[in-house]
Amino acid sequence: MREHDLTRRLFLKGAGSVAGTAALRGLLPAIAATAQAACTARDSGAAFAVLGADEAAALEAITARIIPTTETPGAREAGVVHFIDQAMDGFMAGQLGMLREGLAGFLADLDRPFADLDEDAQDAYLAARENTPFFEFLGVLTLFGTFALPSYGGNRGEVGWQILGMDARAHAHAPPFGHYDAVYREDHADAD
Amino acid sequence: MPTDGQASFALDEAVDFVIVGSGSAGGIMARELAGQGFDVVVFEQGPFREAGDFTHDELSVIFNGELHGGPAASLGQTFRDHESKVAEVPQFFPAAEYARTVGGSSVHFSGNFWRLREIDFRERSLLGPIAGTNFADWPLSYAELEPYYTKVDWEIGISGAPGPFDSPRSRPFPVPPMPIKSAGALLEKAALELGLHPQAAPVAILSQALNGRAACIHCGYCMGFGCEVGAKSSTLATMIPQAQASGHCEIRPLSTVFRLKTNAAGRVDEVLYYDADGNERSQKAKAVVLSANGAEAPRPLLDSASAAHPDGLANSSGYVGRNLMFNGHSLVNGVFAEPLNEYKSIQVTRIVHDFYESDPQRGFYGGGGIDSRPLFASTPILFALAGMPLDGPRWGREFKAALAHNFTRQMSMIGNTTSLAVDSNNVTLDPTHKDRFGRAALRITYRDHDDDLATAAFFRDRSMELMEAAGAEQQWAYPVEPQRGGAHLLGTCRMGDDPETSVVDRHHRSHDVDNLFICDGSSFVTSGRGQPTMTIMALAFRAAEHIGAAARRLDI
Repeated sequence: MREHDLTRRLFLKGAGSVAGTAALRGLLPAIAATAQAACTARDSGAAFAVLGADEAAALEAITARIIPTTETPGAREAGVVHFIDQAMDGFMAGQLGMLREGLAGFLADLDRPFADLDEDAQDAYLAARENTPFFEFLGVLTLFGTFALPSYGGNRGEVGWQILGMDARAHAHAPPFGHYDAVYREDHADAD
Repeated sequence: MPTDGQASFALDEAVDFVIVGSGSAGGIMARELAGQGFDVVVFEQGPFREAGDFTHDELSVIFNGELHGGPAASLGQTFRDHESKVAEVPQFFPAAEYARTVGGSSVHFSGNFWRLREIDFRERSLLGPIAGTNFADWPLSYAELEPYYTKVDWEIGISGAPGPFDSPRSRPFPVPPMPIKSAGALLEKAALELGLHPQAAPVAILSQALNGRAACIHCGYCMGFGCEVGAKSSTLATMIPQAQASGHCEIRPLSTVFRLKTNAAGRVDEVLYYDADGNERSQKAKAVVLSANGAEAPRPLLDSASAAHPDGLANSSGYVGRNLMFNGHSLVNGVFAEPLNEYKSIQVTRIVHDFYESDPQRGFYGGGGIDSRPLFASTPILFALAGMPLDGPRWGREFKAALAHNFTRQMSMIGNTTSLAVDSNNVTLDPTHKDRFGRAALRITYRDHDDDLATAAFFRDRSMELMEAAGAEQQWAYPVEPQRGGAHLLGTCRMGDDPETSVVDRHHRSHDVDNLFICDGSSFVTSGRGQPTMTIMALAFRAAEHIGAAARRLDI
């Protein structure tokens, strides 16, 4: 969580006093640049801590069908498999055995690696198993890995937040926030 | 360390007051009693986090229970929906949800601060009895509590503007309402179209600087998170530092009270607790105030059963732990054509209180208020897991496209409604499961009364009408089902004049034990309409005044 701790501390330094909130807004580009540099440095090394190469390949391929790469990035670009690896080496360590056995069982009906199937065959295989607890578990991991803080190993380059149109890097916002309150402000000159 | 420089008291010397809990009631109690010159020790189960310790880490805060003290399954709670069943450990969200951190749940709340109205205090007289329930009047009136509501407005810090149905207030709000959001603008427009009376939401979040605290910067991480700039009006941001500065208050974090010991005269003289390492310790005290919330206040009382108090301390009525009320809820989601960006700023900026009062024409007891808010659309993981259409795809291209389209365009309308007090909804000690200290797990037994469910369904229907009038392109209601947990923990040590049917008197003194006071959500007689913290805080200001006066005249 280092880069975000850094972001937060810089942020608080600016926001500590009432007058600080304006200064904070001025600081934001510098904060963003610092955090981005930290992410880039981290992303350059990519060994897995607990996942085997076959497991990682299968998990990457499956999660890439849950949040697919389209005209925008998906779970693959977000590095969901790296999130899973890091989580299973950390706060979810107790579930590594379950993940491992579950994955082996989930793929048991295949005669070749899941990643070697074409996308239609992958989708068909998943669709036939979409209501199994293990697939639901992978769904949760995929959403965690796509949208959690990049410090957990996924959401690389904050692509998860970008998919949603969420300006999560800004730690502060100002009105108007959306379309309808902007219109409201035009109609109520004395609003706020 | 946030405890540097504060007072420190020896375990074997009786302090004037031990206060159990540092949250909405405990934080106020600490500042008020220490400010009057009494020596107090405040026990808090959780750590002493400060503003700089709070993060935007959704995975940790929302899904790993960072502020709750850990994931739901680790918290030493069980749940069942009927007394005939065996309670089970909840796996996802706690059955009784509260924050374990200095400032308590005022740290992680969303800050909706509605006063009760005059009718809330005397509905039983107005409407008559309801069979099978413990529906009753409060032993105090709105007029008696009003000065303390005003104290909350100004000393805790509430943003707002008077609403058309509000009971009278003696002073205006200290700061204006928070800037309207798109969800607020849409609710206001829809309500006016339907002939209703929308109003600005009163919230415990600062729209402007007040009392040396900064205004909100609209970061969007209110619900469930701690505020990084102290703009949320928690007791952590307001009362706790003042209590410490008095020189009479020691905040003792990571300390979990489990039993109160009474002497031969029947008075509490010792508080037993687990320290940070789980060791049993004891603090001598002249008097004790329990402000630990509606789940944790009854717990040490029940765990203090002895030959002299076979059903638990202060429980000659049998009402300790009974009458648990969560408030009812209904939930409707809507997706709009243009971006709302509800992930920015606070939860609620407009509310509708036209259906507040119970109406006999509906055929059931109950009332409430409707708000509009991001809810799921606050944070991305919560949204993707729980906020999408109930019958839509959960993976694949279509799912991703819907996520991308809806996240910035979605809002919810919530009906915040009444719960009836019944014997069978309660907090007890689990006969099988233990918590991490080895004491009995906290067992929650709860099923919404049929009238509560009918009320929630009524509010769901009104919300669907409002969502349609707001112009949603797609909208769906969640089914109204019995709740399996709650964050509003009310009624479990109710106040009243009759020792047979209440635990504390109108000044929060235990009917049974002269030097034991209980003041928090457990004091509630009725549930109100879904936003209890304003009243918890007003009760605490009022109780502290009475308790301090009693101590000065040596009547404790």
